[in-house]
Amino acid sequence: MPGDIRPDWWGKASAGAILGFGLALSLVGLYAYLGPGGINAPGGRYSLMRYLEAFVWIAVFGFCFLFRSGRSAWVWLGAANLIAFAALFACRFFFFA
Amino acid sequence: MIRADIVKLYKTVHTWTGITCGFALFIAFYAGALTMFQEPIARWASPPAVGVAAVPLDDAPRLLELVATAHPEAREEGIKLHLRGHENEPARVTWEEDEPHEAGQPHGHVHWWATLNPDGALLAKQEEPSELAEFINEIHMRVGIPSPWGSYFMGVVSLLYGVALIAGVIILLPSLVKDFLELRVGTNLKRMWLDAHNVVGITGLPFHIVMAITATALSLSGELWSVQESVVFGGKQEILDKRDNEQYQPPRPTGEAAAMMAPSQLLQKLKVQVPDFEPRFMIFKNIGDKAASVRVAGSERGYVGDYHLGGVMLSAVTGELLKDSTRPSRQDPDRRASETFYGLHAGQYEGATITWAYFFLGFSGAWLFYSGNLLWIETRRKNARKGGGVEQSRSTRLLGSATVGVCLGCVAGISLTIVAAKWLHGRVGDLNHWHELIYYVVFLGSVAWAFAWGAARSAVHLLWLCAAATMAIPLTTLAALLFPALGMWAYGSAATIGVDVVAFIGALCFAWMAVATQRRLTTGPADSIWSVRKADAATPPREPAAVPAE
Repeated sequence: MPGDIRPDWWGKASAGAILGFGLALSLVGLYAYLGPGGINAPGGRYSLMRYLEAFVWIAVFGFCFLFRSGRSAWVWLGAANLIAFAALFACRFFFFA
Repeated sequence: MIRADIVKLYKTVHTWTGITCGFALFIAFYAGALTMFQEPIARWASPPAVGVAAVPLDDAPRLLELVATAHPEAREEGIKLHLRGHENEPARVTWEEDEPHEAGQPHGHVHWWATLNPDGALLAKQEEPSELAEFINEIHMRVGIPSPWGSYFMGVVSLLYGVALIAGVIILLPSLVKDFLELRVGTNLKRMWLDAHNVVGITGLPFHIVMAITATALSLSGELWSVQESVVFGGKQEILDKRDNEQYQPPRPTGEAAAMMAPSQLLQKLKVQVPDFEPRFMIFKNIGDKAASVRVAGSERGYVGDYHLGGVMLSAVTGELLKDSTRPSRQDPDRRASETFYGLHAGQYEGATITWAYFFLGFSGAWLFYSGNLLWIETRRKNARKGGGVEQSRSTRLLGSATVGVCLGCVAGISLTIVAAKWLHGRVGDLNHWHELIYYVVFLGSVAWAFAWGAARSAVHLLWLCAAATMAIPLTTLAALLFPALGMWAYGSAATIGVDVVAFIGALCFAWMAVATQRRLTTGPADSIWSVRKADAATPPREPAAVPAE
């Protein structure tokens, strides 16, 4: 059983709002490159992405209070952001440049 | 099982997101419920005009030709041919022209309509249509805050609303199986309100999840677009967008003259080529040219989605299908998914059943935010009481006043501005400006009134105001019918009579709430926010005797 959860309202909320948005943008951005048809796929992909981003953003923000502390929220979500953005920029500037 | 400390944590999350966003969400949901009947309201508010029927569809070719000759700008921009004959369609054809404007200012539009005189001559007139229904939609989207700040604000509110939903479900999960759908009506009034809040919230959850996601995306649409373009697409998004817009672009005029096919024939051609399409109106471009085209907007049976984006383009000369990839069944999967999200937000599927369902779900959402605020206030009182009656703390008093003023001010403001559509027509210069003025004066006045008189007293006053303002909607129609000298109008279509009937029922509901609140004011516990009696430590606190219904 893990230890007590600290409230850390501002630490967790800021992580959820900022890093949640980063994760939303990078993960949905990966869909733009790796989804069917790739980045040059014609049609309404860019339009759909806005709804998907809102979904991921809300989910991360909503569940970020489950982290044990504000610090661990920033560390874990920060790491997830780094990986996702690294993958996104690898796609944008390397694989599909 | 969810640990108790997590539930406690999320209770705080739910409370604070709810309290901070509740007001804005009430307005968005109340006005949003009304926008489900945006078209009937527009028809109710539109003054009598020559109407679509004045020119039979068979005479439309001549009308189109005359307009195209006399108004070259309309010929280029597109002439709209109406098919349904609704009251908000002033004549068989309408079009927009650019307003003369100064450099650096945004383009304005002026609206024209045209019909044929009995002698067959063209009669064209510039007249601004009622924008009442669009204004209610504005309030729904931006809660009355000017663009773009209202959109930013509602984007953040919608995001926090999503967080509040997640938190609310986490709080409820441990007791869900035990308490679900259990409405404990009885002496413990707070328990009953909490049960009701939970039942309404959990049964409407799919609707609320859809609304939180789509409202966040739609409010921040432009901002998300810019960020996507610079971070993800790196300039490619604009190219994709241009390619996408190709589907809506008419062919360039050739300069070569050709005979046009009659609209009735074009519709027949359309029916043969796209059997499941239900046309709403037709927009003709470059009439008289060999490359003249007509875009037919409409919906396709069996698909969720926006009526305005979907459509087909035919050649106005031959009736051949020119562009066909924007109607629902031909959209690419991503566009279809995106349009489905939009359709789920706007309730554009399955016809009247869903329209009514969204209408009531919208009201139930507004009620959720109202009851949430009330529960917070009552919980605070309980915590502070500790056995004896207490004075309401400053924060609960202020929150109570704000809840009453904002919620009821929005209701009364919308009702009165609807009424003004008939009374002020022809009596003021710019009626659309008056609609805004009336709404803001009533809204801000109600908020001021609520703070001046306190939640309890002002709730009764403002509920009677809501009842009277809403009752004035059918009474206005009745007055128009009885006293034609007033210069107002009453239509016989089911849609416009429906507006009056729904307003009548709504007014009765507000009156009932006013009576119930009045009763609680005088008989409920003195330390409640709903009491006008001074809290007295000597009086043992009781549970309220009557339901506080706003």
